[in-house]
Amino acid sequence: MISIINNSTTLGMYIHIPFCIKKCNYCDFFSLPLQDSSYLDKYTQALINEIKVRGQQMPSVQLESIYLGGGTPSLLNRRQLKSILQTVTNEFVLLPGAEVSLEANPATLDNVKLAQMEEVGINRLSLGVQSFFDDELALLGRVHNAKAVMKTIELLHAQGWKNFNLDLIYGLPGQFLDKWMQSLKRAVDCSPSHLSVYLLQLEEETPMGKDVADGWLKMLDEDDEWYMFDQAMEYLEGKEFEHYEISNFCKPGYECHHNLRYWQAEEYLGLGAGAVSFIEGSRYVNEPHLKQYVDALSTGEQWPIDELEHMSGRELMIDGLILGLRLCAGIDLEKFKQRFGVDITSEYKEIIAYYRSNGLLNIVNGHLKFTKAGYFLSNQVLYQFIT
Amino acid sequence: MQDKIRNFSIIAHIDHGKSTLADRLLQFTGALSDREMREQFLDKMDLEREKGITIKLQPVRLKYQARNGEEYILNLIDTPGHVDFTYEVSRSLASCEGALLVVDASQGIEAQTLANVYLAMDLNLEIIGAVNKIDLPGAQPDLVKQEMENVLGLDNEEILPISAKLGTGIEEVLETIVEQIPPPKGDEDAPLQAMIFDSYFDSYKGAISYIRVFSGSLRKGDIIRMMSSGKEFEVAEIGVLSPYMTEVESLSAGEVGYLAAGIKNVKDTRVGDTITQSVRSADTALPGYQEVKPMVYCGLYPLENNDFERLRDALDRLKLNDASLFYEPESSDALGFGFRCGFLGLLHLEIIRERLEREYDLSLLATAPSVVYKILLTDGSELYVQNPTHWPSAQKTEQVMEPYVKASIMAPNDYVGAIMELCQEKRGSFITMEYLTSQRVMITYKLPLSEILYDFFDALKSRTRGYASLDYEIIGYEASDLVKLDIMLNGEVVDALSFIAHNDRAYYQARAIVDKLRRIIPRQMYEVVIQAAIGSKIIARESVKAMRKDVLAKCYGGDITRKKKLLEKQKEGKKKMKQIGRVEVPKDAFMTVMNIEDD
Repeated sequence: MISIINNSTTLGMYIHIPFCIKKCNYCDFFSLPLQDSSYLDKYTQALINEIKVRGQQMPSVQLESIYLGGGTPSLLNRRQLKSILQTVTNEFVLLPGAEVSLEANPATLDNVKLAQMEEVGINRLSLGVQSFFDDELALLGRVHNAKAVMKTIELLHAQGWKNFNLDLIYGLPGQFLDKWMQSLKRAVDCSPSHLSVYLLQLEEETPMGKDVADGWLKMLDEDDEWYMFDQAMEYLEGKEFEHYEISNFCKPGYECHHNLRYWQAEEYLGLGAGAVSFIEGSRYVNEPHLKQYVDALSTGEQWPIDELEHMSGRELMIDGLILGLRLCAGIDLEKFKQRFGVDITSEYKEIIAYYRSNGLLNIVNGHLKFTKAGYFLSNQVLYQFIT
Repeated sequence: MQDKIRNFSIIAHIDHGKSTLADRLLQFTGALSDREMREQFLDKMDLEREKGITIKLQPVRLKYQARNGEEYILNLIDTPGHVDFTYEVSRSLASCEGALLVVDASQGIEAQTLANVYLAMDLNLEIIGAVNKIDLPGAQPDLVKQEMENVLGLDNEEILPISAKLGTGIEEVLETIVEQIPPPKGDEDAPLQAMIFDSYFDSYKGAISYIRVFSGSLRKGDIIRMMSSGKEFEVAEIGVLSPYMTEVESLSAGEVGYLAAGIKNVKDTRVGDTITQSVRSADTALPGYQEVKPMVYCGLYPLENNDFERLRDALDRLKLNDASLFYEPESSDALGFGFRCGFLGLLHLEIIRERLEREYDLSLLATAPSVVYKILLTDGSELYVQNPTHWPSAQKTEQVMEPYVKASIMAPNDYVGAIMELCQEKRGSFITMEYLTSQRVMITYKLPLSEILYDFFDALKSRTRGYASLDYEIIGYEASDLVKLDIMLNGEVVDALSFIAHNDRAYYQARAIVDKLRRIIPRQMYEVVIQAAIGSKIIARESVKAMRKDVLAKCYGGDITRKKKLLEKQKEGKKKMKQIGRVEVPKDAFMTVMNIEDD
C-alpha cells in the first residue's frame, strides 16, 4: 500500500480507460470491447473515487502532466471526462502549463467532441492512425479507415489544434518500403506536432501473433524492418522533426512531457484498472480485473493494489540507464552521477568501450547515447546492464 | 551347503520387465516387507528409476522355502541391459550357473537379449525361459515361445508364462530355478579365488566389491591380493545383500556377497579381476579378465571457464564409482580448458554427462563423439587418435584405420529392405541374413563403429517403426579412406568442431553441417561466415547475416517491468552460448552438429 507522501513532489498522472469499440488484432494492452455504454458511468465513478483516495494520500503532490490512455479514452462523453478532470484538479495541484493528453481513435471524434475536449482542458491529442491504407488498417483490425483519419485531421486544423500526435505502425506482414513511406508522408502532410512510429511487435496471444505462429502471416525480414526505420529517420529529419526517443519524433519543443517522465525514470501515478504507478522506488499495479476494480472503489474502500517490484538503489540506477538510453539526447553523465551516485563511464567501462568501438554507442558533450545505427540494436547493449 | 545355493542372472531387454520381476521375487521370498517395497527397488540410480531403464540391478540374496521343504539361497546377479556394457555382462554371467531369460510376450526376442543369451550359453549356463507380460492385450505368448525354441533351442513346453506385474507364475519361476540350475561347485579348502563382478564407491567404507567366491573361503581380517595388479588389502567387512547389507563371518566357494577393504578407489577393484589370499594364494586367476578400454571419446568443457576445477572434482568423484570412465585434461583454442573423456559407448557418455550436470550442477559443453582411429605413419610408427585435433597431416600418414563392428539387427521381415538400405548408407557390408521365424529375421552387417555412433540407432528405429533391435560387437581395425574436416567461423578453425569423415562423403557432410550451423547460429552483430575445409581446401560455405534488429519498439510506464524481464531473459539466453572469437555459438551445436539427418 502506498503511504502518504508528505514532501512536495511533482508527478505525472496516467489515467487508464480500458475500453475500446473493438480490440485491435495486434493489441496486448489491457482493454475490453465496450458492450454497454452505461458501464462507462460506473467506471468513471470508480475512477473518481480512486482519484479522491489518492488525493488524500498525497496532499501536497503537484502534477506536471495528465495522460488519458487506453483503450480508447475518447469514448468518454463530455460529462464523464469533465468530472474526471474536475476531480483531479480538486484533489491535486495541477501546475500551470501542465500537459493534458488524451488518446483518441480517429473514428470517435467529431466537431462537437473536439470542442468539448478543449473545453474540459485537454491540450494535446494523440491519434491512433497506424496507417493511411485501408487494407493495412483492416489487417490490423482497426475500426476506422483512411478517410475518417483525413476528416478528423481537417477538423483538428479547423479548430486550431496545434499539439497533436499521430501513431503509425510499420513492418506489417507483406508491407513494402514504398507503401510505408507513403503512409509516413501523408502523416507529415497532416502537420502534426508529434509522430510516434512503432515497429510492429506481436505478442503471441494476440490474434495477429497467433496467425504468425500458425504460418498464416509472415513477419518481414529484419533487414527490411531496419530499412523502414532508417528511411523514416532520414525522411523525418528532412522534414524538421526531431528524433527524441527510439520511436518518437516531434517538432522542436513538442516532446510529450508525460512520456518523457517515463524515460527519465521520474515518478508517476497510474489510476484506473490495471494502471501502473512508480512511486518511491516501487512499481505498483492496480487491480486489472474491471469488475473487481469497480466493486472495490464503489464501496469507497481502498482498492486492491499489488507491488510489482521494489527496487534497490542500484536497480533504480539501472532503470535510469536503460530508460534514459531510449532518449536520443542520451544520458547526461554528470547529472546521472549526481542523481544515482554512479559514474557510468567507469562502472560500465568495458561495455561502453566495446559498443563505442563498433559504433552503437557514443559519448558526445558529456552525454552517453545510442548512435543512429544503435537504436535498432539497443537491446544488445541494454541487457548487458541488467544484473 | 553348496547344494542349497543357486546363482542366477536375469537376461532381458529394456522394458521387458526385469525390474518388476525382481521386485516380485523380493516380495515373494519375503526379503522385503510390503512397507519397505518401492517400485524398482534394485535400480541403483535415480537416473535409472527416472528414465525407467535399468542399466543394472543391485545383486541380492533371497531365501526361498521350496515345495520340497528345503530352504535355498538364491543369488540374483543382474546383467546390464545395454551394448555399452557387454564386458560387465560377461563377468556377471560368469558368476552364475544359470540365467533366467525374460522375453516380452508382445515384442519377442530382441538383438541385445539374443547376444547376452549366446554369451550365457558360451559360459555353459543353464537357461530358463520365461515369457512375461502375458496379461497384456497384445500378448502372443505361443508365438514368442516358438521363436525362443527356434532361435535358442529352448523347449517350447518348458518356457514359463508369467506376468511380473500381476505376480502370475512367480512361484514356478522360483521352483524352476531350484530344480534346473545346478548348484555351484568349488573346493572350499582350496586357495581363494573370488571374482569381482561389480564394484562401487561408498564414502564411509571405500570401494565395495560384489564378489562370487569360486574356491576357498574368505574371512574378515584376511589379507587379500588383487591378481591383476598384485595390490594387497586387509578385509574390513564381508557380507551379503538380503537386500540390505548384512555382515557375515565368512564367504565360501559358491557364495555371492560383498567385500570392503578400505580400498580408496574403484580402479583397484576392477570388474573381472580375481581376488586371492596373500598367504596361500591361488596359482592362476579366473579366466576372462580384461581391462576395459573406452570406445568413444568426446571433449567435455565447462561453459563457465572458472568451473574447470569443479569439473575435475566431479569427474574424480564419478571415477571412484566407475573404473571404465577415462579422462584427461585437454585444451581447445575454441573452448578453453576441459577434459577429453572416454566412455564404453554413447549411453555411458550420456549417463556421465547427465550426472555431471545434474548431481554436480555443472553446465557443460560436449564435443561430437569420436572413435579411436589407428594411423600408421610413414616413419613406421602407429598412432591412436581419439581427438580429431590430433589428426596427423597427409604427408605423415601411411594408412588410416578405423574400428569396425559386427552388427546384428533383428526385425520383422517387412523391414529387410529398409534396414539394408540404411546399412549401405552407413558404409556397411552385408554378412548374413537368417530367418528366426517365418516373420522375423536377423541381419548381420559389418559397419564402421563411427557410423553407428551418431544417429544409426534412431534411424533404424524410425525406418522400422521401432520394431528393429540392434546389437554389435567390435571386430577390430580395418583400413579406411578417411579425412579430417575442419569447420571455420569467420576464417578461424574451430578445433572443437573438427571431425573425421569418409572421403566419399566428406563433401556431402560438409555441406550438411555448414547448413546446419547456419540455421543454429543466431544472427549476431557481425556477419558470420561458416566454412568447411579439408586441409586448405574450402569445400562448403554459408553465412549468417548480421543482426539488424533487437529493439523494444514501445516502452512506457506500464510496460517497464515486463520489458526489463525480456532483457533479463535475453541475458539468461546468453549463458547457453559459447563465445568463440567474436562469434557466439549455441552450446548444443558441438554435440548436435553430427546429427545431420534429423532435420
